[in-house]
Amino acid sequence: MNTIQFLMDGFSIAFQWQNILFAFVGVLIGTAVGVLPGIGPMSGVALLIPVTATLTAGLPTEAAAASSIILLAGVYYGAMYGGSTTSILLNTPGESSSVVTTLDGYQMAKQGRAGSALSIAAIGSFAAGIISLIGLVLLAEPLSNVALQFGPAEYFSLMLLGLAAVSGLAGKSMTKALMMTVFGLMLGTIGIDAVSGIARFTYDIPVLYSGLEFLTIAVGLFALGEVFKTVLERDHEDGTMAKIGRILPTRKDLKESAAPIMRGSFLGFFIGVLPGAGATLASFFSYIGEKKFSKTPEQFGKGAIAGVAGPEAANNAASGGAMIPLLTLGIPGSGTTAILMGALIMYNIQPGPLLFDDHPEVAWGLIASMFVGNLMLLVLNMPLVKVFAKIIQTPKKYLLPIIIAISFFGVYAVQYTTFDLYLLLACGVLGYLLTRNDFPVAPLVLALVLGPMIENNMRRALTISNGDFSTFVTNPISLALLIVAAAWLLVPLLLKLKGRSVVLNEEG
Amino acid sequence: MSKTFDRFAGIAFLLIGLLFIIESQRISQSSYGSAVGPDIFPIGLGAVLVLLSLRLLYETFRYQSDTQKGELILYKKFLVIFISALLYAALLEPLGYVITTFAFLLVAFQTMERGKWIKSIVIAGLFSFGVYYFFAEFLGGSLPGFPVFL
Repeated sequence: MNTIQFLMDGFSIAFQWQNILFAFVGVLIGTAVGVLPGIGPMSGVALLIPVTATLTAGLPTEAAAASSIILLAGVYYGAMYGGSTTSILLNTPGESSSVVTTLDGYQMAKQGRAGSALSIAAIGSFAAGIISLIGLVLLAEPLSNVALQFGPAEYFSLMLLGLAAVSGLAGKSMTKALMMTVFGLMLGTIGIDAVSGIARFTYDIPVLYSGLEFLTIAVGLFALGEVFKTVLERDHEDGTMAKIGRILPTRKDLKESAAPIMRGSFLGFFIGVLPGAGATLASFFSYIGEKKFSKTPEQFGKGAIAGVAGPEAANNAASGGAMIPLLTLGIPGSGTTAILMGALIMYNIQPGPLLFDDHPEVAWGLIASMFVGNLMLLVLNMPLVKVFAKIIQTPKKYLLPIIIAISFFGVYAVQYTTFDLYLLLACGVLGYLLTRNDFPVAPLVLALVLGPMIENNMRRALTISNGDFSTFVTNPISLALLIVAAAWLLVPLLLKLKGRSVVLNEEG
Repeated sequence: MSKTFDRFAGIAFLLIGLLFIIESQRISQSSYGSAVGPDIFPIGLGAVLVLLSLRLLYETFRYQSDTQKGELILYKKFLVIFISALLYAALLEPLGYVITTFAFLLVAFQTMERGKWIKSIVIAGLFSFGVYYFFAEFLGGSLPGFPVFL
């Protein structure tokens, strides 16, 4: 079968009524998550995993996995649409990926052009979403075919590259980021060793035999960590919200933003494919680029529509691009995709090159549903943007306790142990303390998900080579990947030594 | 960033790394017949973490400590919410989901901002009953609903 045929099969799955519903719920919640400052896409996706697990409980495994991942991915790219709303209306970004949107978006709102800014952001996101999906469709088959040639040594090095990329760009201190990565890998070794069946670090405590549940740790570190932060450090009160006015952009606005949207989409897509670099970096680069391309760079920061269109397109395209390494190689490039991967593994579906052969309905169903979801988002974000703007006003005093309650429900409904609730609370405190002191937690979660796979591949490679560690450097592909991984860590260090400021990815 | 926290974290992670190396020695040998047993990976990780922690400790002696952030830290509010969350976790199984969730939400709402009792009670009630009935009755999930003695 060729790609088109697979895609058509995917659409037949995406158009099943329950999957249309799942995609709709996903993008709806995603938009809300994007609008609400304080809940990022990572905590949003993590919190919804248990809910989707129950919703799909009656379905056969593969259909359940397809439906859940459709919903969860919807939250991910939906958040990219929603993030712009608060940036434009309140000058507070809902997500770190829409930080640059505040620069010109809020200025436009002050000039009474909030409606145009919001609709251009939605149109730009839509165009970018479609472009990155076409890229995903075209690249999926060839990339997974390449990855099929990989043996354990190549896989080990590839995953190391993924970890290095995320650690190299996360947070202010690379030492701290690497410590978090190693700590995450360590937490991943707790439990029964998959290769030898021997219990490690369990100390005869029964709940530890299955290992620490990644879901509990992710929800604790991100969602609860964020809640505790808001409880402890009172945020400055929200400013006044700008009026939205007419929603449809003028012809002049459309004309001015068409080229930035196209450039932002392609730039965002390629940045998204790279592990470690995410939507935040993509929107940032797009803004710098647009300012360089513009004939009137002095307009930037004063309400230039290109400064909204480009970055918004770029962050959405990046979220689409980030699906490529996840689906084809089985390597998540960011915290959110790591959580999506954890969700797939929960259904016993291993993302990676075999995904397209073994579970085509999951892979292609997801891709097809992303087309549908992007269309829904365009509809949701153009006429209904006023409704979403209301969500911003949800009082924190009700929102925060409810997030704690949802986390408790989510963790308990999947794990059924009180131990996980205590672990959740402990991770919440840890997440707050670590993030506050510039220890990035995204590499920890990524390492926790990748840890067992890295170890298994390492041991398989070493078993094949009779315990000879040189197998990782004598194999050319593996060597190349290791060199890139080392470069990823060393180049920022060298730049720092030279006194250059390094762009950081704080999205996670 | 705070220098004290970084030093404390450096020492804590150093100890975790050491503990990992020591405890890995106790992992039983596998009968798997390979030179690479289940202890290699944890020992390696422990060693790397020890090195990184030393590096972090070294760094804390190099940089100037930032001035204190002028944020208002509301310990009291946090402690009340955190302790009620601990009680929530401990009592969830014996007392059931609906009662504990309702109580937790009510306490937390009132801690965040005192007053408006009726609104708090209505929201807490809607959430705890709503989630329970939607999940346990409608979706057929399993949650400890009410205490056995009711």
